[in-house]
Amino acid sequence: MPRLIVYAILISGLLALLPPAIIARVRATPDPNPPVHIFHDMDFQTKYLPQSENAQYADGRAQRPPVLGAVARGETYADTHYYDGVSGGQWASAMPTQVPLTMELLQRGEARFNIYCTPCHGYDGAGNGIVNQRAIALVSNAAGPVNGTVWVQAKSVHDETVIVQPIGQIFNTITHGVRNMAGYGSQIPVEDRWAIAAYVRVLQRSQNATPDQVPADRRAGL
Amino acid sequence: MSRFLFPRWTNALLPLLLVAGATLPLYVVFVVAYGFSPKTLDVGYMPSQPVPYSHALHAGILGMDCRYCHNTVESAAFAAVPPTQTCMNCHTQIHRDSPKLVPVRQSYETGLSIPWAKVHKLPDYSYFDHSAHVNRGVGCVECHGRVDQMEVVWKDQPLSMGWCLDCHRDPTDRLRPVSQITNLAWDQKTQMTREERESLVKLYHINPSENCSTCHR
Repeated sequence: MPRLIVYAILISGLLALLPPAIIARVRATPDPNPPVHIFHDMDFQTKYLPQSENAQYADGRAQRPPVLGAVARGETYADTHYYDGVSGGQWASAMPTQVPLTMELLQRGEARFNIYCTPCHGYDGAGNGIVNQRAIALVSNAAGPVNGTVWVQAKSVHDETVIVQPIGQIFNTITHGVRNMAGYGSQIPVEDRWAIAAYVRVLQRSQNATPDQVPADRRAGL
Repeated sequence: MSRFLFPRWTNALLPLLLVAGATLPLYVVFVVAYGFSPKTLDVGYMPSQPVPYSHALHAGILGMDCRYCHNTVESAAFAAVPPTQTCMNCHTQIHRDSPKLVPVRQSYETGLSIPWAKVHKLPDYSYFDHSAHVNRGVGCVECHGRVDQMEVVWKDQPLSMGWCLDCHRDPTDRLRPVSQITNLAWDQKTQMTREERESLVKLYHINPSENCSTCHR
């Protein structure tokens, strides 16, 4: 057999190993380039998806904000107790009728508190969540605050000034924030904010209770 | 006119040709199936982002819940990328001069969006609904992987139709209690028995359809 033919067979055999090797490498490494699309089908349609771009608008957003002053049906916000925590010109001291105080509501409040509030306020509400700890570490850095960090110790919900607040005021703090705390009105739906406010009351009761407030059949477990 | 005769050495090629004829189609099938698979083409997409935001820090070390930022995930089809306000809840104070946060501060001042790169893209004819999944025991980690360990997010799963159907045909092993939905380190295969997972199918009324119209409209 001529040398040429032998070499051709050997080389094509070796070349055949290349594609699997390349594929194995592609599989094992992350790639910043958009995925290769072999068949486009109708994967990319001329329509706008949530949070997609539309160059027609100056801000580039396909989702348009409501026109200033527009009022959607059912969004008059006339019920100040439900939307603002204000009843009769004062902070409401009771839950609004739309959100009755039930065990489910308190459990919902606990779950929501643990998502949105614990980073700063901690699971017990005492104000020493992990973000608070980290921020204090950044501020008290020996060579000065890291990246200009400023921080005021997160408030404990067991603070005397918070315990005396009517629930409507706590709801308002969650909605609009206070001092250095940002408002969560756009991040948490109104019903969940009431659930959190109710759970703050639960934390206050649980962390500041006396033994005689514990049901008699549970006292042995203390 | 003399007849053309194949040289004698070509006889040795005959078995080689037979072998090649049998293996070449298999080889082509293998390369196409392996190479064009979404596991090759789609998994591992890791676009660079305008801000070096670390999920490993925020969701991992700080242990923040996914829903702190992606707060629409339980009520909407789309798990929204948070507005800049969510970043600034903390970063008006923490690392407020950081050069890494320049695009965030610019966005906060101008009101223009941060041009985050979308990592998990579906074809425009598929209508995935996050709320339908996370409210019924399919955890974030099933589709997104250990985002709490990613400095830069990459696509961990192929998100192809066959991959969706794997779970729609037998969801039992992918289910967890809703209370653990965002706990990426929690693994239902070690924390629960198969029977317990089967009970979740009943509890959450899970009847995953394989109809075309379930996902395509």
